[in-house]
Amino acid sequence: MNKRRALVSALVTMAVAWGLLGATLAAGATPRLGLDLQGGFAVRLVAPEGTDTDVLDKAVEIMRQRIEALGGVQEPEIAVAGDNAVEVQLPGVTDRDRALAAIGSTGDLSFRQVIQIGPLPGVSPVYAEFGLDPPGLDLDPIVSEGEGEDTTTTTTTAPPDEALVPTTPALTVAIDCSGGSPAGIDTAAVLPVETFDTVDPDTGLTLIDDPAADAWLLEPDSGLIYHVGPALLTGADLSGASAEFGGGSVGAGGWVVDPSFTGDGGEKFRCATGALASFNIADPRRRFAIVLDGEVVSAPVVAEGVGTEGLSPSAVTITIGGGDDQQGEAEDLATVLRYGALPATFETDRVEAVSASLGDDSLRAGLIAGVGGLILVGLALLLYYRALGLIAIAGLSVFGSLLLFLFSFLGETQGVTLTLAGVAGIVVSIGITSDSYIVYFERIKEEVRNGRSVRAAVDNGFRRAFRTILTADAVSLFGAILLFLLAVGAVKGFAVALGLATVIDVIVAALFTRFATAYLVRTRLGDGGRFSIRGAVGMEPATDPAGAEA
Amino acid sequence: MSIFARMYQGTTTFDFVGNRNKFFRVSGAMMLIAILSLVFLRLDLGVDFVGGTVVEAANPNGVSVDTLRSDLSGIGEAGARVQLTGGGDGIRVQTTELSEAALQRLVDTVAATAGVPAAEISSQEVGPTFGAQVAESAARALVIFLIVVTIFISIRFEWRMALTALAALVHDLLITAGLYSVTGLEVTPATVIAILTILGYSLYDTVVVFDKIEEQVDILGDRQTITGIVNLSMNQVLMRSVNTSLTSLLPVGSLLFVGSFLLGAATLREFALALFVGISAGTYSSIFFASPLLAIWKEQEEDWQRARRRAERRRGPADAGEPVADVPLQVAATAVAEDEPRPATVTGATPRPPKRRRRRR
Repeated sequence: MNKRRALVSALVTMAVAWGLLGATLAAGATPRLGLDLQGGFAVRLVAPEGTDTDVLDKAVEIMRQRIEALGGVQEPEIAVAGDNAVEVQLPGVTDRDRALAAIGSTGDLSFRQVIQIGPLPGVSPVYAEFGLDPPGLDLDPIVSEGEGEDTTTTTTTAPPDEALVPTTPALTVAIDCSGGSPAGIDTAAVLPVETFDTVDPDTGLTLIDDPAADAWLLEPDSGLIYHVGPALLTGADLSGASAEFGGGSVGAGGWVVDPSFTGDGGEKFRCATGALASFNIADPRRRFAIVLDGEVVSAPVVAEGVGTEGLSPSAVTITIGGGDDQQGEAEDLATVLRYGALPATFETDRVEAVSASLGDDSLRAGLIAGVGGLILVGLALLLYYRALGLIAIAGLSVFGSLLLFLFSFLGETQGVTLTLAGVAGIVVSIGITSDSYIVYFERIKEEVRNGRSVRAAVDNGFRRAFRTILTADAVSLFGAILLFLLAVGAVKGFAVALGLATVIDVIVAALFTRFATAYLVRTRLGDGGRFSIRGAVGMEPATDPAGAEA
Repeated sequence: MSIFARMYQGTTTFDFVGNRNKFFRVSGAMMLIAILSLVFLRLDLGVDFVGGTVVEAANPNGVSVDTLRSDLSGIGEAGARVQLTGGGDGIRVQTTELSEAALQRLVDTVAATAGVPAAEISSQEVGPTFGAQVAESAARALVIFLIVVTIFISIRFEWRMALTALAALVHDLLITAGLYSVTGLEVTPATVIAILTILGYSLYDTVVVFDKIEEQVDILGDRQTITGIVNLSMNQVLMRSVNTSLTSLLPVGSLLFVGSFLLGAATLREFALALFVGISAGTYSSIFFASPLLAIWKEQEEDWQRARRRAERRRGPADAGEPVADVPLQVAATAVAEDEPRPATVTGATPRPPKRRRRRR
């Protein structure tokens, strides 16, 4: 091999590796750290066996929306793992209550009777019902009729007799549809009503929503606050829903949502709508609120003309309207109905909270171990292989630069994270890559022992050594790929690091080590003294440098 | 020349195959201990496999295990397993699975006792199904990996080598698992990763050694017995094995060292320990277990039996299987000729090599 060509090739490889790393660092990209290295919160949720993949995907989407709504979470990672699990990683979040709230309640969907609607957006009906002044407002009559109502129906104000007493027994009538009987309304029975204690005195909203009791809940879109009764149906009573154009009572041109119910659910729905239909069309109690996670999504009215026999579950549609933006609204509602309360209940399988300081400590420990390992290996190779050890050290730096570059690059573009297991994988790969040098250098020694000149040994030795390196690296790479495809959690991070390192090892051997050694053997370090390659392969230092040519 | 100089030169003449019974006895004894221990002592499986809760915190005030334990029994967690980690800088409490409220109480108690804010406490709660999934996925990965590797080695080398490599692998895994069982160390997902790595490493090492054997078979054909060839190969590859083990163990040792003395590196330490043992076992097994095994197995093949008979006729039966001092010299002579077109006299003078691989060249 030509000395000049060898030098240029080795230098180009080195420059490319360092250049790539430099460019990445200059661009501000660093490896994306896994949760265990920067602190955060991880939850693994498991759905029952055989849950549809679509459902899982949808659940992931809903959770992502909720976490985004939560704010302050940088780069949440939510993904389906395995057949029926969802893994949620919230880096930087260490407040377990907040984190669990974000993903814990997986869509509590219920259908509840509306009892009362707040007079104005943002004003809770609770004050009127308990005869109190809403805070921050000095309207003495709480209700200004007709004003502030932007929804389709008028709202009756709270009857004065109810507004004056602390509790409003007459307000809530028991609707019992658990048996699915059409005569589910029992005007005589009175439900126990939540007391004012359960309400935030400033907002007038229920603090902790219990679907088995009544509650004051917000509809975020309109700002209205609804007083709703206990749940009549839950998400489990629904089997699906779709958004359609052109059906329903508004006739052609309107968007409707068409829910479908389970057999049981259908009966409950018929009973519930029958009970609601006993109220006047202007009465808020003729409405049912669709409640998701403690918020009212929509509160349609049971249409005029529906009798106390209730709505047929197969014919029911929820009319949204004909506007352009109402398509989205209809689709959102259908999504909520379909997936809001997932037919499968997720169980928390594994919760992990890593404090930020533990993450830092782990990262530091990993770095110390990695750098320490590199230095030790470099020293050992230098001591044993002398001049050849210099090549190994330069090669290790190329290897390290490329690995750091790849992790930064893949972290930035593909979201590949570097976890603690990944750090361990890298530390292990230092051993594997240094083995490539050892295989090659031992091969050179052997070729020399078999009578070749040092130069011939360096050039010929590479061919045989590279074959061994390829074979051995192939086994490592197989392992890494299979681990990545088949394993879960931490093992994946390890496999990524090991796989990348193995590929880089082959690249460095072919594009750097080979040329660098070919160059070095043609310099004074090739055969000048005990430190030279000649010395390292165990030949007596040549007294006459020309002797090496022989 | 001193023994070290000879090792450096790769001209040692250790009789690896001839002393195989000693090595097999060592390996056998270790595997037996491992199996007995695995059967009777079992493995101490961590929370990730059996479910449970782990709470970890820093220990800035140097609270003792006893103090913690008594505080914990105050909230009804007397059965908790309390450990100091990172050389006393950290606290680790492990309990069975807890309810939300009980966990909160545990976190608060540990925070109060250790004198750190509750947000600085790391916790881990694992349901009983998670471990089963991890174990299942690891086992599935293992089986498929073994099948693929067996096929790969069978194609690249031959099926006997593949099976021998697998035997060496089982040897290494048993010894590592045995160590965990004997010492009662907890098995964590990090351990599983480490074991999967050992798997890769053990095969890698065996592949490198077999590559050497195959090469010598190509060079020497059947002018040597397989036992002689394996011995020669082992002596030549010995330094590579020693060096590779050394350079692999150095970073792992660095992990082990850092992991034992720094907080936050408990995972690294668990990982490093299994690796340390596994890599050592892997190096041992590829030289002292897999290779002699391969030699005695291949010795049964008809071609190699013929080669042995010829060698005995040439040199007398006494030293047919023994490596002889002049073997490396003999290699030297042939190896130089190797890359050139083989002189007709060499091919003509020796019997036809038994290996079909010879023809590829």
